Formats: sequence, C-alpha cells, structure tokens
Amino acid sequence: MAWRYGRWTAEHALPIGVSERAALGQPVTAGEALASGASLGSAVLVEGAHRIGVAAEDLSRVLRTSVGADVARGSVLARTGRRFARAATAPIDGRVLHLTAQGDFYLAPIVGRWTVRAMLDGTVVRSDEACVTVAGDAWSLAGIAAYGPDAFGGLVLGVEGANDELAPSRIDTRLRDRIIVGGARTAAEAITRAHACGVAGLVAGAVPAGGLRLVYGDEVSARGMPLREDRPTVLCLIGFGTAPLPREVFDPFRAFAGARAAIHTASARLFVFAPHEAGDFARDAPALALAPDYGGVRPLADGESGTVNVLAYDAPR
Amino acid sequence: MSGSTATVEVALEGRPIRVALLVAPSGAPERTAATRAVLAAGAELVATLATDDPRSFGERAAALRAARPDVVVVAARSREDSAAAVALAEALRLACGHQEPLLRVLAATDPRTEAQIRAAAAPCSVEGVASPTGEAGRVALVGAIRALRRETGTVLRDEALEAAAGSLARHAASTTLLVDVSGASTSLVFASPDGALRAVHVRPLGVGAGADRVVARGGLDRVRRWLPMAVDAPALAERVFNRARWPDAMPTNELALSLEMALAREAITHAFADAVAAGLAAGTLRAASRVVLCGRLALLPLPGQSLLVGVDGVGHRQVAAFARDRGAAAVRLGALAVRGDPEATDGAIAAAVEPLALVAALWPRRSVTLHVSDAGGRIDQRISRGAFVLIPSLGTVEVSASGAELRARGDAGALGVLADARGRPLSLPPRDAERLPAVQRWHATLDAFRGGVA
Repeated sequence: MAWRYGRWTAEHALPIGVSERAALGQPVTAGEALASGASLGSAVLVEGAHRIGVAAEDLSRVLRTSVGADVARGSVLARTGRRFARAATAPIDGRVLHLTAQGDFYLAPIVGRWTVRAMLDGTVVRSDEACVTVAGDAWSLAGIAAYGPDAFGGLVLGVEGANDELAPSRIDTRLRDRIIVGGARTAAEAITRAHACGVAGLVAGAVPAGGLRLVYGDEVSARGMPLREDRPTVLCLIGFGTAPLPREVFDPFRAFAGARAAIHTASARLFVFAPHEAGDFARDAPALALAPDYGGVRPLADGESGTVNVLAYDAPR
Repeated sequence: MSGSTATVEVALEGRPIRVALLVAPSGAPERTAATRAVLAAGAELVATLATDDPRSFGERAAALRAARPDVVVVAARSREDSAAAVALAEALRLACGHQEPLLRVLAATDPRTEAQIRAAAAPCSVEGVASPTGEAGRVALVGAIRALRRETGTVLRDEALEAAAGSLARHAASTTLLVDVSGASTSLVFASPDGALRAVHVRPLGVGAGADRVVARGGLDRVRRWLPMAVDAPALAERVFNRARWPDAMPTNELALSLEMALAREAITHAFADAVAAGLAAGTLRAASRVVLCGRLALLPLPGQSLLVGVDGVGHRQVAAFARDRGAAAVRLGALAVRGDPEATDGAIAAAVEPLALVAALWPRRSVTLHVSDAGGRIDQRISRGAFVLIPSLGTVEVSASGAELRARGDAGALGVLADARGRPLSLPPRDAERLPAVQRWHATLDAFRGGVA
C-alpha cells in the first residue's frame, strides 16, 4: 500500500532552551508554532545554595526566579535574610538554563530564537521539555529518507510524468512556500535552486546520493538527516539515483495538487491534508526492484515477476 | 543435527542499544576500558563526552539530546574527573531527563561520586558497576549491556561468534581471529587456546544496512579504491545508499559483488581502528595464526573472493591459515555452545569451517625463494616486493623461504599457498590508471571473478 488515509502521529524533538510549548490536548494545525525557545550561548555557572547559605534541597524556598526564565544582569536569582541579605545574582543577561542538584545555576546568554511547527492538523498528545507529539488525520505517503528541516506548504506538481526528472528551469520564485513533487529524479541543481527560490520542500522518487552529499555534506547517510537550520528539505520516496514512481503513487499527486501538505523529516513522511473522500488512492503499489548494479530502483511492470532483489512497495527498509 | 536446526533462530542481532560514555579524558585507562566494554557488548556508541570536554554546558546537553542514548556509562576515577563527571551528569539530566523510556546510567565511580551522579541525573536510574579497567568489571559491564540487547531466551550473534572463536582456538591449539561482516555489524574476535578472548562488535557497520556508515566514516574513495573497475564517485554513492536501504540484497553482477567486497574490506579496517581506540593491540589481532571469515564474507560465491577480502581487510603479519564458515554452520553451532557444553561442540565447529589457503605475508628487501612442500612434491617460487602469487597445493603443506625468516606448516585448503608481498599496511596507488591494473591482477590471481557471480 502506498497512500493511506488514517490517524498519524508526528513527534517533534525540541532543542535545549524551550520557552513556550503547546499544552497537552491543544488542537493545532499544520504550520502552526508548537514550541519556541532560545538558542543559547556558552553557559556560566553561578553559585547558588552555598553562596546564600542554605542546603541545596532548601533552595527552592528562596528562589526569586524559575528555571527557564529570562533574567537581566544583576537580577536576584535566590536570596535569604532581610537586613543582612545574602543573594545569588545573575552575572549576565540570559536565561536560567538549569539548576543543579548542588543548588547552583547555569545561566546562558540568548543568541537566537527557534520555533518548531506542527506538521499535522490534530491535537497535542505529548508535551514536555524534550518533545511535542501531535496526532491527527491525513493522507500519508512514507518515504525511505528525508533531509533538512520539516516543511509545510501547498502541493504542486513539478513534472509531467512519473518518469521525468525535475528540471531546475521549472523552479522559480512563484513556487515560494510550496512543496514540489518531482518525478524519477531530482538532482542537486534543482534542490539548491528550489531552496534559493524559497520553495518549502521537494518530494522525489529518487535523489542522487552524490547530490545529497554536495548539499548536506559528506556525513549524510541513507537514513536521512533531519535538521533545524535553514537548509533545503527533500523527501526521497523509493531510492537513490533514479527511481520512477509507480502510477499508484504518482497519480494521486495530480488530484492533491493545491492541497496543504507537510514533510515530516524525522519520520520521512509526507502528509496531505485532504478529505478522506478525496479519491480512491489507497491502493497496492507494485513491488520494487533494485537495479542489478544497485544504481537505481524501479517498479515492476504489469505482469513482470522478479525474484532477486524485489521487495513489496511498503516492505520495511 | 535437528537440535542445531532448532537453535538456528537463537543467534540474533538483538535489540539495538545506543550507549553514550561520560568518561575520563583521552588516554585515561577508564575511557579506553569503557569503550572496549561497549564495543565488546555489541552496542552502538553514539556519543563520548570526556570530563575535559571543551564544549559549554548547553552544548554538551545538546549533544546528549541529539544522541538519544538508551544507556549512559560513567567511568571516572580521579578526584578531578569525578567532579567533572557530576557536571556531565547534570547536562545529561537537562538533555535526557524527559526522554521516554528513561535511560539507565551505569556508574563506574567511587560510591561518593555515584551518590552525586544519582542526585544530578535524577530521574534517570543510576546503578553502580565495577570499574571496567579490571577484567571482572569489564565482563560485568558487557553483561549488563548485553542483557538489555537480549530478547527473551535468545543467544546474541556476538556470543555465538565468541563461542565459535574460542572453540576453534581450543580445537586447533592456536590463536584464532574470527572476522564477521554482516549487513549492519562487523566483528573481530581474537581467541587463544588458553581461553583468553578479545572482541569488538561494531554497529552499525557492514555491507548492508550499515554500508552508508562505511562511506560516512572513511569516505567514498576508500571504498572505490578496492573496485577492479572504474566507477565515478557520485555513481558509487547511490549504489552504496541503495544497498543500505535494501535488506538482504543479493549481488547479481560483478559490479555489485565487487562493491560488497570493497565495503567489507573497509568495514574490517574500521573495526580494527575501533579496536585500537578501545585499547586492543591491532598487532596482536593480526598475528593470529588462523583467520576464520564469517557472515557475508563466508557467503561470497567463490572461495577466492572470501580470501581476497580477508587478506586485504585483515592485513595479517607472517603466516596465517585462512578459512571460512561453511554455510554459517559455525556460528549456529557457536550459539549451541553458549547454551550447552562448549567443549562438546568443538569438533563440530572445527568441521564446519572450510580451509581456504595458507597465506604468507612477506616484505622482502630483495627477491626470495619460497619453498612449498606438499604430498605432491616441492615447488620453489621466486617472490619479489609487490608480488601476489597463488601456489596451488593440497593438504598439509610446509612453507619456508630462503633469504627470509619464514617457516610454517598448515592446511593449504581449497586454494593453496598465497604469497602476499604487497607490504603492510597495504597501500594502493591513488590514480585509477595505476591502481586498477593492480587490483584487477589481485582479483585474477585468486580467480575472484571466474564466470561472473553465482
């Protein structure tokens, strides 16, 4: 089965330095901010409990700020006494990053801001400092690997047919904030041009691995590379090199053109927010065959049967 | 053999476990010993933070959160290291305090530091373990990590390999290096007849699901240099990536097969590098008098292919008898040995191994004459630097060289005696025009592509 409509979950790992995050049970729509926070510089250790003369376990009683709060230089972090007060103060503008078991503070300067956005229409089913998870209904197509940050935008076809390569000349700034569906191959030139034109993401049957190494660096692997920084987003559906999409996979893209969609890179999935009745898309796709020299993947033709290096379309890989 | 057939399923890869180390600085025995224990346990080492890590508190926490470890091993002994280890445990709480399921911390520290780490890393569960610098402590740490990997009632593949290596060493009364390369793991197990065992099981690294890691670690050119045909780097990259996402792919042409052979050689090289980082002496491993190839290496269609990969990958010194695990039977019997009486299976494991060749590694100053005597008589062969010559022989052979210190006796196996005077470490010319003829010649010497692939 290629396309499926159902209830999916998308897990969003959060970086260190969360300021706000969606509450458990909160409804969210794809593209909406789920959590935001600060990128932090080098943290400094500020003596706390020992400085003000309390036991570490008693520090919570005399705290004047909370962990995660933004403080200005000189702000009182904790204080005891009245007339002869003893206080721990912030030596820098920044954020109270952590309170140690010994009762000391780690303060870090704020050097930037980040936002994590939902990739599903649904509700928040988990929310803590490390992760926010959203569950919701959508059409979904699983890929084998995704690279770059999560992406959200309107779906648009960039090729005429499933066997075509996405030509860089077809990409321009009018496709800003869209997710472009390529065909059998999307080369590095198309990826970098799309990013320069503000395209949200690319979906392709295959991407040349050499091109991925050019765009994302030599450490890129076949398992994908979810990132947070401003880099191109690519969802590779069935292989590397060249991989024509089966008709059962490609045809629904025509029907979904214009629909809102999202690429969740951690799970290498495309979500399309269209009604369940949008079409009869939930069909078995033909099995896939690996090329004898491993240079590409192709769907088996009607009536063709292969025995060596053939896998069901949705077999775990 | 019905019993062994029923036990085939017990030799499993096990649950993948990600381990992070919070350890003493580079070169400290605690760090080396903890690394060795993690590699011996077959876990994936996802992060190593030293007590002198120059990164800030936030960066350390970010590194640990990105690593998502299942287990964290803290190994520090000195007073300064212990204080720094507690600070690392604070970063661990910030990074992974909300992780689900909660990670486990194994602390090889003094009791006072352990209590501080327990407070700093809460709510993660902290268990005290003996220092891995001692044999007992290392064995206990390996056991603790393997217990997490093991599904109910299974024998891990690493355990089966170790049992098989121990059995082969005992049976032949000689040191044995067992080299196993599978889809996603590469193992080196050195066993001596006295029962001593040194092992590293590197994950994910192999010729299948771990193929892309081989390239990520060493670069494409390291893999490309072993291919006997010209392939440009971008084309090679997609072949490796497709192979990594295609479980159990079978090579059906020479290019695909030579790619798997090239990946296997590099995987073995990386495993040796990891063994050295874990404090094992590569020279000792390479000095084993017998090398047994398992996993995908043993399943290569022709004996010459297995031998070529083994000789290139291991880079052994002096003379070694190379053999391969026939039909993965030795590993299956090794799993049986783990469950039952190890010595009872010694004979069966020895019989399951197919001798390939006796390989003499030479680096003569000037040409020497190699004398090979078997039941059919004596053959003298001139060997000069760079030579790679197969001398067909049968049965037990005696090998000696005039002008070089070499004298050995062993089983010539299916192929005979291989004189390898290419030098160690093996250096390949960087330019295709010089390298390809050399690599093709080595393949031809061992008839590695006779009639294509099976």
